[in-house]
Amino acid sequence: MLDPYILQQLAIGLSLGMIYALMAIGFTLIFGVLNVVNFAHGEIYTIGAFAGLMVISVFGPPLLVVLFIALATGALAGFGLERLAFRPFRRFSDEASLKSRAMREATLMSSLAMSIIAREAMEMIFGSQFQSVDLAYLINKPIGIGPITIVNGDLIIFGITVVMLGGLQWLLKKSPVGLSIRAVSNNALGAKYCGINTDRTIIITFVIGSAMGALAGILVGLYYGAIFPSMGFTPGIKAFVAMVMGGLSSIPGAVISAIILGLSESLSTSFMSSVWSDMVAYAFLLLTLIFFPQGLFGARRERV
Amino acid sequence: MKLTRRTAIAIAVTAALTPAAAFAEETVKIGYQLPLTGNTAQYGQDFKDAAEIALTKFNASGALPVPVEIIYEDSRSDAKEGVTIARKFVDDDGIVGVLGDFTSTVSMAAAQVYKKAGMAQLSQTASHPDFAKISKWQFRNITTQDQEGSVNAQWMLDQGIKKVAVIAEQTDWGQSVVKGFVEPFEAAGGEIVYTEFFNRGLADFRPIITKLENNTPDAVYTGFFYEDGGQFLKQMKQLDAGIPVYSTSAAYNDKLIELAGDASEGLFLTATFLPTRMDANVQEFVGEWSKTHDAAPGQFPAQAYDAVNIMLSAVVKAYPEITRESLRDALAETTDFPGVTGNTSFDENGEPLKELTKASVSNGMFVEVQ
Repeated sequence: MLDPYILQQLAIGLSLGMIYALMAIGFTLIFGVLNVVNFAHGEIYTIGAFAGLMVISVFGPPLLVVLFIALATGALAGFGLERLAFRPFRRFSDEASLKSRAMREATLMSSLAMSIIAREAMEMIFGSQFQSVDLAYLINKPIGIGPITIVNGDLIIFGITVVMLGGLQWLLKKSPVGLSIRAVSNNALGAKYCGINTDRTIIITFVIGSAMGALAGILVGLYYGAIFPSMGFTPGIKAFVAMVMGGLSSIPGAVISAIILGLSESLSTSFMSSVWSDMVAYAFLLLTLIFFPQGLFGARRERV
Repeated sequence: MKLTRRTAIAIAVTAALTPAAAFAEETVKIGYQLPLTGNTAQYGQDFKDAAEIALTKFNASGALPVPVEIIYEDSRSDAKEGVTIARKFVDDDGIVGVLGDFTSTVSMAAAQVYKKAGMAQLSQTASHPDFAKISKWQFRNITTQDQEGSVNAQWMLDQGIKKVAVIAEQTDWGQSVVKGFVEPFEAAGGEIVYTEFFNRGLADFRPIITKLENNTPDAVYTGFFYEDGGQFLKQMKQLDAGIPVYSTSAAYNDKLIELAGDASEGLFLTATFLPTRMDANVQEFVGEWSKTHDAAPGQFPAQAYDAVNIMLSAVVKAYPEITRESLRDALAETTDFPGVTGNTSFDENGEPLKELTKASVSNGMFVEVQ
């Protein structure tokens, strides 16, 4: 029998992994379709948290309403982001510009620029410190299960991750929207020739991915009670690593990798100083790139 | 002499500029390097607000026939920035003394420049033991972790605490918290069962807390600031650790209670400033501060307020022959300066001699422990 100490660390690792997974889903969805990293995803996450926080401090509605407002704000932010940072650099008209690396790298830069603008703007408006959150809204009420302690937020986050993952799989595999998303991600030019509205599909992808990012932001913000302008940075890196480990465009792969990441980080604290636990993510990134260039789950799967 | 148009303009321009130049020379200029952006901006902003309160009051008081001006430069809590700003201040012949920086790391990097150029540097918060020892030009208005650590060690031993876990952030300052506590505590017969450092801004302390509980200490001694402190205390409560937490003055901030709520109850710490103290100068500062802020000032703004006032009173002492050298000597002579953080004197190393107050959180307030 495992002793309670290891069990508790595993439980914490699992909840950390779920948090990374929550962010990695939206991140991977956008990458899967566009094949470019959306550097502003971390800021979408922060915007979701701040939108939720403002609603809480002004109206104080039930938690579910807060989550829906964060979701809606994220969708709106995703739409705006696509319009400002991605659309102007997109040319799906011919093979040459589709393959152009310069075109893709331009959106890398423009999304990075948007993320810096958004973060600095939030710092100017709200200040860079932790915002005070009404403690009644925090989802960190302890629940004892035998020798270990989890919190109600773990259950909420687990539930939402499962629903998001399942819903997304259903959407991608069974619905017409999902079909066009998969078509665009597979071959954008081909999809366009077949009469799929690629611009609309990409907007929808951004809206869905960003809504999920924003939902992740408010959930994690309430889980830790820590909402501040640069909160998206660390989870953004972890989500990126999970995405690469999972094979860049496989959503279930990213979720599994995120959980592996969370568990390793939590357990690593037992063997080495906590200062080094951030290194675990980077070590995984490096090992994956060296030994599994296709990602742990990448090679055999369809994109998205 | 033929008066050409060009000469006429030159004369006019010179005439227009002369009074301004003369005026500029008469203003006493002091540099203040502090983080105004970046992830420690909230502290720097507070310092600036406190400094403005002190400066406005000083300039209105007429203690000097000329006004004093403070020039703020943003260091972003980045050592490289700090050094660049230090060079800029040193190159400006009008600047006679410098306040700042916020963190020990940046202050110590900039200190090398001030040491070489011969400019007095008074930091309101750099508490690394080595800072004031760099040269005769360094002063600070914060008690060192050696002082706080030994007060805390004695306090714990008096409570019958023998086994302690120590947790601190991974910075120069965090290291000094651990060293300042561990040495006197072990010398007095205490035992350290677990030592851990964490990266500032760590979201999840639970792996550390679980490991800490596994070592069954009687108490935890912590070196963190209020944001990390809030997270740590919330997660301690969440895991129902039930281990008393002791901390330093860095955690002393009303925001800590706001962020951690119930979880902050029973936190013990040492501090130099309590806004609830009834002394006239404390209440005056708290009153001015409250005009522009929602919350009462914490210890850091209070220290900045005192540091600026100490600097200003040294300027008065050195006036009218203010040079960098004479200002340093005037600073060094500071004895029993009646500040809001208690009476301050500098010893021969530029260390402040202050009394520490023991406080704990009770019913959502910091209260003095007698």
